[in-house]
Amino acid sequence: MSGSSKPEQNKKAKQATSNGRVALIGFFGGLIWSLIGYLAYLIHFSKVGPSLILAPFVLGKWKNKIGGQFLGILIICIVSILIALLYKYALGKIKSMWVGIIFGLMLWVIVFYVLQPLIPGLDPVSKLGKNTNSISLCLYALYGLFVGYSISFDLESLANEEAGSNQ
Amino acid sequence: MVIIATQQKEKKPIFKKVKDNEQYLTKKLDIGATNFDVGVRKMKILSEEVHVYYCNSLCNSEMVIFLFRELMRVVNAHRPNIKAKDVIKNHLAHEQVMEIKTLDDVLLYMLCGLIVVLIDGEAVGLVVDVRNYPGRQPEEPDVEKVIRGSKDGFTENIIINAGLIRRRVRDENYRNELIRVGKRSKTDVCISYIKGIANPGLIKTIKKELKQIEIDGIPMADKTIEEFIVKQGFNPYPLVRYTGRPDVAAEHILEGHIVMIVDTSPSVIILPTTLFHHVQHAEEYLQTPSSGAFLRWIRFIAMLASIFLVPFWYLLVLEGSSLPHWLSFIGPNKHTYNIPIFLQILLAEFGIEALRMAAIHTPTALSTALGLIAAILIGQVAIQVGIFLPEVILYTSISAVGGFATPSYELSLANKIVRLFLIIITAIFHVPGFAIGSTIIIILLAQVKNINTPYLWPFIPFNPKAFFNIMIRTAMPTAYTRPSIVRSIDDTRQPKKTD
Repeated sequence: MSGSSKPEQNKKAKQATSNGRVALIGFFGGLIWSLIGYLAYLIHFSKVGPSLILAPFVLGKWKNKIGGQFLGILIICIVSILIALLYKYALGKIKSMWVGIIFGLMLWVIVFYVLQPLIPGLDPVSKLGKNTNSISLCLYALYGLFVGYSISFDLESLANEEAGSNQ
Repeated sequence: MVIIATQQKEKKPIFKKVKDNEQYLTKKLDIGATNFDVGVRKMKILSEEVHVYYCNSLCNSEMVIFLFRELMRVVNAHRPNIKAKDVIKNHLAHEQVMEIKTLDDVLLYMLCGLIVVLIDGEAVGLVVDVRNYPGRQPEEPDVEKVIRGSKDGFTENIIINAGLIRRRVRDENYRNELIRVGKRSKTDVCISYIKGIANPGLIKTIKKELKQIEIDGIPMADKTIEEFIVKQGFNPYPLVRYTGRPDVAAEHILEGHIVMIVDTSPSVIILPTTLFHHVQHAEEYLQTPSSGAFLRWIRFIAMLASIFLVPFWYLLVLEGSSLPHWLSFIGPNKHTYNIPIFLQILLAEFGIEALRMAAIHTPTALSTALGLIAAILIGQVAIQVGIFLPEVILYTSISAVGGFATPSYELSLANKIVRLFLIIITAIFHVPGFAIGSTIIIILLAQVKNINTPYLWPFIPFNPKAFFNIMIRTAMPTAYTRPSIVRSIDDTRQPKKTD
């Protein structure tokens, strides 16, 4: 090591790419699982589609048609990046995949119980029916598993690399 | 040829008098009386009695005759105080001559097919490798055929297999470590890797696991070894990859994996692997990148169909009333049927499995007839009788085709079990059953962590670059680094070009 500035620079560079990777994880997580949610909405198994995220905003009739759904998917991807970064700083150090699943289920509780009165057009859980509930529960759990496990695995292998290079 | 003994119990040293050795070995092996293919040849060389122990079903008689001829040419033209053993060792015309000191080693090498030369007055034996195992020539493996690419495949002989790989990896760091497993079968197991690339922790773990195996024999070769090394439990999914092609094995060794060759088995084991190692096929790499990606995508769709198509179709049939109008063509509609659809699906699955087994056991001459019977009987007649809906047959057949398109046979079997599970749980619980069933499968697969490798990597945990490489296969000129899952010590495959 040449000086004291080099490891700090390396650390900053590593942090930057780590955040970049976490953002990518969040983006793809949102993309994949909201696409499956859209498919479930299309065949009428689920009463809510990705356009749910647009519900608080008044945008006109096209909100629930196909254009609205894809805009919803895009916005979910962006929100998911923020959620992924939040997971990294809050729960990233925990090395278990079950934490990710619980994180996803917590998100479901937040959206469908806590935020539900504020979202116009979203019925309470008891009125949505077991089809919609089971599909949305599963999607949130898998999303949480995807984001959580990927981030903790990423951080763990980064830590192993640093430990290996420090020896 | 270095053979490491797996146990160090009390070993009997070779007697100095050759007659005592003969008495011990004849009694141990029942030479002549009840064992026809082991024997001893007695000669007198340099006025010393010399016994040569052999097993003539495993040794190459021509080579042995040549060796004897060289020994018989030894005349007393040497200085009188030279030991007979040194002269004989000098005149054994072979590249591999070893000295051994115990009678257990004599028995061991003799029964592997090598010949052991015992000299009167010496407590050492000379071992010469003249093995010639009966076997076939390298031919293309049945389940991994390609249109372009090399057509040689592994055989049952571990020396030939090691040679086929070493021909493709001529690096000086490439290692072939031999370990013997099985108390009675004493099967050779070879661990192949490139020192400096493969993860040393993994190599140590594998060697430790192999040395701890105490079973008496492994005639089912690599499958038994796999059961000892990976903790399978009730998981039907394959945790290691098998291949019968040397180019696939060499490619994985260069990527940083470890390959295990087991004697008497024409498949080698590749570790560590994830689910996505089982969905790739050599053919995709032997075409242009875009054609390879296209083939890969067709294969993925076929494999997904083999798991999800039938349960999903059944779900749509069950939910028929609430489907959108553009899906109304799905479902029995106008056809009449006498058996509930759930039973029809189970019967069709059972029928296809039974058909496959029948096709394997039928001799080739009859297989055309059997194929015709299957197509005509099951297809047309069953529908007319009212047992099957045409849709059930159609979708079950598509699933079966998807199963055959799976590169790894073990994976297609595991997918079939998952499909049956999803069908049953969809029948009971409908939409929540399908959703929760699929989620449980994904979670159970994600928690499998075999030799420190998550099974669904790079999907869960997500690695964008590796996932992209699996969706669209990498063009070799852009392969700069090794996949991070092998945790290799040296990451670079080729230096990045700076123009």
